[in-house]
Amino acid sequence: MSKVTSVFFFVLTMIWFGLAWAQDTLVVDIYGPGQEKLNIFLADPLMKGGNGTAPAFATRVQDLIKNNLSFLPFLHQTQSKDILGGSQIGGIQGKDIDFKKFRLSKVDLLLTIGWEDRPGILGSVEIRAFEVFSRKLILGKGYLVQTKEQLPLVAQKFCAELMRVLTGKDKFFRSTLAFVRRQESKKEICLLSPLSGEVKQITNLGGLAMSPAWSFDGQKIVFTFLKNDRHFLGLWDRQTGQVKSYKLPGNTCISPVFTPEQKIAVSIDPEGNPDIYLLQRDMKLDRALVKNWAIDISPSFDSSGKKMVFVSSRLGNPHIFLLNVQENRIERVTYAGKYNTSPSISPDGNWVTFSRRTPEGHRIFVLDLRTGMEKQISFGPGNDEDPSFGPDGYFIVFTSNRSGQYKLYLTTRGGNEPRLLPTGQGEATAPSWGVFE
Amino acid sequence: MRSKTLFLFVLATLTVFIISGCAKQKIGSVSPNGVVGSTQKNRLSAEESRGNAARKAREQALKERQLAEEQLAKEEAEKKKAIEQAVETISANKIYFDFDSFELKPEARAILQQKAELLKKYKNLRLVIEGHCDERGTEEYNLALGERRARAAYEFLILLGVESDRMQIVSYGEEFPADPGHNETAWAKNRRDEFKVLY
Repeated sequence: MSKVTSVFFFVLTMIWFGLAWAQDTLVVDIYGPGQEKLNIFLADPLMKGGNGTAPAFATRVQDLIKNNLSFLPFLHQTQSKDILGGSQIGGIQGKDIDFKKFRLSKVDLLLTIGWEDRPGILGSVEIRAFEVFSRKLILGKGYLVQTKEQLPLVAQKFCAELMRVLTGKDKFFRSTLAFVRRQESKKEICLLSPLSGEVKQITNLGGLAMSPAWSFDGQKIVFTFLKNDRHFLGLWDRQTGQVKSYKLPGNTCISPVFTPEQKIAVSIDPEGNPDIYLLQRDMKLDRALVKNWAIDISPSFDSSGKKMVFVSSRLGNPHIFLLNVQENRIERVTYAGKYNTSPSISPDGNWVTFSRRTPEGHRIFVLDLRTGMEKQISFGPGNDEDPSFGPDGYFIVFTSNRSGQYKLYLTTRGGNEPRLLPTGQGEATAPSWGVFE
Repeated sequence: MRSKTLFLFVLATLTVFIISGCAKQKIGSVSPNGVVGSTQKNRLSAEESRGNAARKAREQALKERQLAEEQLAKEEAEKKKAIEQAVETISANKIYFDFDSFELKPEARAILQQKAELLKKYKNLRLVIEGHCDERGTEEYNLALGERRARAAYEFLILLGVESDRMQIVSYGEEFPADPGHNETAWAKNRRDEFKVLY
């Protein structure tokens, strides 16, 4: 992504007031309890210099930014009608803006867009974010836009910067989801850009492709593939777009994932039980990570590779366990319920989200590994399953049949209202988050 | 002159002798009305008998061969029918499990015993055991549970004397429900092992 972007975009200006202001300006603790919302207003775009009406391209940028920011549950977008004295701004720079009316309208953040026509290309756009109370510019970015197809990337890059300024995290806006889409009796792997809703099918294997998982560098996806009464390991390479399949020892190939060292861990049964093995790079067995008489599946690694959570039925029912990889020590981490599956550990290794079967159906829970405290973050109806932690450890995507058909929903670790992600026709399940580094 | 006459006489005598001698070597003479003589008749009858016997023997052999072939075909058909019946029996009888369980119930064991007998009888049959689950579990866990269900049947059949290299197991998890319903009746039908025979 960055290479492509560098070809098309040129940062014109980077106005940065240094870290000093950041200490006493707006900071959002997205992980904190009782998260409060900031009110943000995105002013209508103006021509840079104040001459004439901004073209439709500028309005398109405004719409795209509005859509992108709508994914951030800690922001509330104030409407024009709620601005006392009208939402017009005198200009795109701080000296031209009447901040008082925005302050009276309880706006915390004000965004301005300035457009300038340029010969030979679409134009350039400057986007600024002001903290209304202090009138401080907290972010300013300028982009040369070659074609209209680049407008979504402009909005995406600015929103990533804004989220980073506000929260210290920005990977959500650089992320792509892999998921499984059912097509009659077949299942194929697709990619989804959460922001644009663009869906791209990357496999066409004609069998059952399941459980996709990204590599930590966002370059590969590993998945389970069933065809002709056999389980295979599937591997998709982003660089080539090609899929390779491998037959592993035993009869099963369940829940393959990448480790941070770019190796693959997978549940296979060469000795008669589904155990979790680490594979060598040539897909031969390296060693068993978890070996037990019971079912051991669904490994998930934190970004250090030191912690791996997984599901085991060794105590009779499926529960979540934690493997300290270095010490080869296993401990049980879920005690409530009788059916806890599909764990996903946050990149920092402090949190686990998982699915628990309740009398009302499966629900998503989040567990703090440091305290052992857990919290239910989804409430149906129907079944909520397969949660996956986002790369910042903030967002969580899961699949739910609350609308009748399984679709993907976005929420946060704090349990914000789930938002339906557009995935097109067919059931969408098994989401997995990847970031292109 | 006298010796010439004697020579002619001797020649004539020899000629008569020769002619009469040659005439004795004829198969037989036929009367003017075409009736065969009794000697010749006997000879012909014997030859006919021999011919008939040979023909009858040939016909008998042919008939026996046909009968043997028919018998073989019949046996083959019966064998084929028996195999088809065995295949149908093995394939038709599924075994069912409790929720989140891969323990073989007594009725499942009885069904597997029947399958084992048939598999031991028909050595050319191979078996694919498919493990299935209901929709209530999660996808990955159900794939593992389906494997355990298929393996439970596989290991029981081995105990009953079926060779392991004639069997293969595969788990389809919750992917192919037998009943698409969303209630306990449907779920009970979906927690199952299915048996596919290859031959």
